[in-house]
Amino acid sequence: MISCTEFIPAYSELFKFLEFRGGREAVEDFWNYLSDEFLGNLRTEVEQHGLRGCWLYWNHTLNEEAADFTMELDEAAGRFKIVMHHCPSMGRLLENKHIEPYHDYCRHCDVLYRRVLKPLGYEFKIDLSDCRNARCAVIINSYTDR
Amino acid sequence: MTKKTISRKAGDNKYLHKDFHGALSVGIDYVHRNYGEDAVREYLRQFAAAFYAPLTDALRQRGLVALKEHFDKVYADEDGRTRMMLSDDELRIEVEACPAVMHMRENGYTVAKLFHETTRTVNEAICAATPYAAELLDYDEATGRNVQRFYRRT
Repeated sequence: MISCTEFIPAYSELFKFLEFRGGREAVEDFWNYLSDEFLGNLRTEVEQHGLRGCWLYWNHTLNEEAADFTMELDEAAGRFKIVMHHCPSMGRLLENKHIEPYHDYCRHCDVLYRRVLKPLGYEFKIDLSDCRNARCAVIINSYTDR
Repeated sequence: MTKKTISRKAGDNKYLHKDFHGALSVGIDYVHRNYGEDAVREYLRQFAAAFYAPLTDALRQRGLVALKEHFDKVYADEDGRTRMMLSDDELRIEVEACPAVMHMRENGYTVAKLFHETTRTVNEAICAATPYAAELLDYDEATGRNVQRFYRRT
């Protein structure tokens, strides 16, 4: 059994495998598929609770992933923000010195979450400029909750 | 209108996000549908050869006890109930119910048809180019109950 604690390297290696088979387009296709098939819980939370659904979703996942983060919800301003001080996924990939992370690993977050949130009326911004140090920031702006 | 902030350190929580099993299952199913059965096994062999390289080295150097220690930790972390029998030449692992499969079943995730390859192919790949081999003797798709055997090649 591949432990859930070993999933991230399995995921990174899957991206490499797909890129070898079909180029970057194959990786993008998979990310779109994964967003549609796997992020139903985020979609449902946001449909039911608006921007607060983002808080509910990430409060669950980031705590289970033992992330080092600050998360802010301001419903009056229509803004949800995550500052990832140390991403548990990229952090683990960097700790595993014997494997090289997929070169575009962090961008899966951009593709997966944007694909869920944009059709629901939310602007999704992600700063991946320091992601190779396991740091990033996400801002989700609501146009409907304000 | 709610306004709130939280901060967490990595040490505040245990790293155990079982929903990742569902994401892996989606990945296995995707490769199966789009690239075929052999591609699933090829991907898992590549992953295992890369990620478990230190475990394979330990198996070469220390024998089957290295595998037992690895799987003891894996199943303990995920609250999986197992029975392990170790001798010089054989490690037999009886898994009462696979924690990954049970989590997916209980939380509405689809279990990929080839999900068992995450045990069979991965175990075989860990043993590649060592004096040992692996086989999956029994596997129940509903619960993931299984029997794994590692043994010295003759």
